[in-house]
Amino acid sequence: MSLLREAVPDLRWRRSVDVRREVAAGLVGALLVIPQAITFAYVAGVAPEYGLYCAVFVGFLASLLGNSPMVGGPNTAVSILIGLTVLPFAGRGSPLYTELVLALSLMVGFIQLLMWLGRAAALFRYFSPAAIIGIKAGVGVWLIASALEGATGMGPMTVKFLYEKFYIVLAGWQELVNPYATLVSGVTVAAGLLLRRRWRRSYVVLAVLIGSIVGGLVYGWLGPVDSDLELLGHVTLDALPFRIPTLGPPHWLFLELAIAPAIAIAILGLAQSLVIARDLKSTVAPHLDLHKEVFAQAMANALGPFFSSFAGSGSFNRTAIALEMGARTPLSGMVAALAVVLIAWLLGPVLTYLPMPVVAGVMVLVGIGMIQPRELRPMLNRIDGPVLLVTLFAVIFLGLESGILVAVTASVIFFVASASQVRLAISHQGEAEHIRVTGNLFYASIDRLAKHLHANPAAVTSLDLSRVPFRDATAMQLIERIQRERVRCGGKLEVVEEG
Amino acid sequence: MKKLLFAAAGVLALSLPAQDAAARPTIEELQKRAVLDDYEANVLFGYNIVMDSNRYAPRYAGNALRCSSCHLDGGTRPDGFPLFVAGVYPKWRAKNGVRNSLEMRIRDCFLYSLSGVMPPEEAPEVLAVSAYISYLSYGKSIGTPPQGWGVPTLPETGADPDPARGQAVFRRACTLCHGADGAGTAVAPPLWGFQSFNAGSGMNVVPRLAGFIWANMPMGAERSLTHQEALDVAAFLHIQHRPFDPREGRLRKLAEEIYHGLSRLFGARAPAAPTGR
Ligand code: HEC
Ligand code: HEC
Repeated sequence: MSLLREAVPDLRWRRSVDVRREVAAGLVGALLVIPQAITFAYVAGVAPEYGLYCAVFVGFLASLLGNSPMVGGPNTAVSILIGLTVLPFAGRGSPLYTELVLALSLMVGFIQLLMWLGRAAALFRYFSPAAIIGIKAGVGVWLIASALEGATGMGPMTVKFLYEKFYIVLAGWQELVNPYATLVSGVTVAAGLLLRRRWRRSYVVLAVLIGSIVGGLVYGWLGPVDSDLELLGHVTLDALPFRIPTLGPPHWLFLELAIAPAIAIAILGLAQSLVIARDLKSTVAPHLDLHKEVFAQAMANALGPFFSSFAGSGSFNRTAIALEMGARTPLSGMVAALAVVLIAWLLGPVLTYLPMPVVAGVMVLVGIGMIQPRELRPMLNRIDGPVLLVTLFAVIFLGLESGILVAVTASVIFFVASASQVRLAISHQGEAEHIRVTGNLFYASIDRLAKHLHANPAAVTSLDLSRVPFRDATAMQLIERIQRERVRCGGKLEVVEEG
Repeated sequence: MKKLLFAAAGVLALSLPAQDAAARPTIEELQKRAVLDDYEANVLFGYNIVMDSNRYAPRYAGNALRCSSCHLDGGTRPDGFPLFVAGVYPKWRAKNGVRNSLEMRIRDCFLYSLSGVMPPEEAPEVLAVSAYISYLSYGKSIGTPPQGWGVPTLPETGADPDPARGQAVFRRACTLCHGADGAGTAVAPPLWGFQSFNAGSGMNVVPRLAGFIWANMPMGAERSLTHQEALDVAAFLHIQHRPFDPREGRLRKLAEEIYHGLSRLFGARAPAAPTGR
């Protein structure tokens, strides 16, 4: 019953909506998402249209089915992982590649639906925030590294480790690097970094504008052949790009091999969405239902491939901007999604001449935005620091997918470590010993108590477990065994539970 | 038992090459197949781009032509710029003075002949067309130009190509399909104007265009024009208005014009305009 309630769109927000603000936030959101959508489609290795479809359909569905001002759509980490997963199976951007991307997105959607049924929102609570910030920063590094080819006008490289790329470029820059492309991407990045201080919301759009003007001048002066600047080309949007994802034997085989990455993508997408959702719940949307939000993201991803969209998730930066503009309901997200169609259609002829190095510049800017000292600094304490650093290191050097696994493991270890801390308050009343235990008693935390009780089998001890909310079978069996041992040796162990 | 196995292996080994040659599926077979591997999917994608560039490569196509407008019959017709040419690439070419890969040629045709946007070397569209070209080149030898490569070179006629006579030929033999204003009709693509190939296209070279017209036009009555008529009509097409050669940077050209204008205005001697590269 509650599942049904979560699955049906809840339009109660209509009653208390400030339409003007929501529409304004939506329009700004649409303008901001267009460069990102094109960029992330490039990162995922598909034509720019697909990124725009993702912004439109995944964004719209996630807002319609959800109950928060969270803005969904194409996402950095998800796009990077999609690209890395599909690349070994088909040529980048080929028809089969695109089909596989959509099939993978479909599978991600279904895995997320299963996670919804498994009440993932509760489980994700245990995902350490330090791990998420570590992943985010790691993704930023990846994004900057993947921008390298586009920014220098080279063809895409496939390397095992990120730093190989920098080595290749440094070693062969005379032949490989196109100075004009580098100029254009450099101007875009520099403009973005300078403008970021003043225009926190729109600096990416302004940087795109400046980069495009410089690109246009270079292109106009030298022509396409001498400058060898790559342009975006015509972006042709269908009004309703409906398609049934192709699922033949090669697709099934691929899906079978891609289960692990698909799970990683599903986790990564939901984890990000839930961080945003929890943030919203504690600030502007106290009635937000996390499970419903999970359902909305999952369903949007599962339905997206039917509208030529790849998987996405909630977006940190776009949600933050929507909030800043005063968005409080899902309406802003829906307006943003629909406005993308309109704006992309109006901009169409201009977009054709968008130089690709500008897109690479946007990648660098988004990447830099993901590595925020403001977020990282508070995490560098004794508890969060190791989780953050281990995750960051793993994401950069082992890859995103393994990085997520490491992040989960680190979170669990961290959680178990903090949950297994028990305090033993030992006092003596004559012969008798009194031990008051505070904490959880389970397989991971029982050692110290057991050692203490074993040390003197002839003692008389009363064990106060009233401050032990949780005890597992291992712990209770161990206490019983010690009790029997004490009886044999002439001692006594008494368990008391008084308050 | 062992002997039998060897015999079976021998038969298999013998039948393999023959089977292989027959194994290249036709495009129709590929279209009917439910499942294609990466290469076959790319071949089919490439074929679709060649046959309907605007629909399958909208990102980079720019005018009303398709590759098959000039690479006739989907690039399979000898003497009609056939595309079974994988065996002659990479090769040295005078147009840009470097070794050209097949991909480079495909990109060029998008930029000049389709008057569109130059795709990057590793664009999926470019890779698909090159897969299609290698599919078409199946069985051709490497290094030797294939039979019917390019278009025939017309012999010297002794008379210069004359656009005025060409106009007469055009009115007589071409308007039916290509339209009186050369803007194309439902049955044939435009010959000039903004929807046709631009001034930088390999088609905009009189002898080559004449060879193409002589060997392939008017469609259905190929080789009915005399060599001189083909040269004349080619010269007529050459002087028509079409999109500019994109190799020239527009801005630089504009700046040069302004500079020359100003220097003429102020009586200074203008330096010789830089000639084509
Ligand atoms: C306006 C006519 C025209 C159109 C349309 C056209 N081409 Fe070409 N193409 C030519 C000409 C002319 C040449 C030969 C140029 C030369 O030899 O310099 C050529 C050469 C080529 C070659 C090299 C072939 C060889 O014989 O060496 C390839 C490959 C090619 N084109 C691919 C394409 C593709 C792919 C398209 C569609 C995207 C296309 N062309 C569209 C006119 C055209
Ligand atoms: C029966 C109709 C017909 C006639 C007559 C005809 N053409 Fe064509 N022509 C075509 C078609 C059809 C194509 C495109 C082939 C394709 O798309 O498969 C074409 C293509 C061309 C092209 C290359 C594509 C382009 O648009 O630039 C040129 C050049 C050309 N014709 C020149 C001529 C000239 C010159 C004449 C007169 C001597 C002529 N044609 C007469 C049907 C015709």
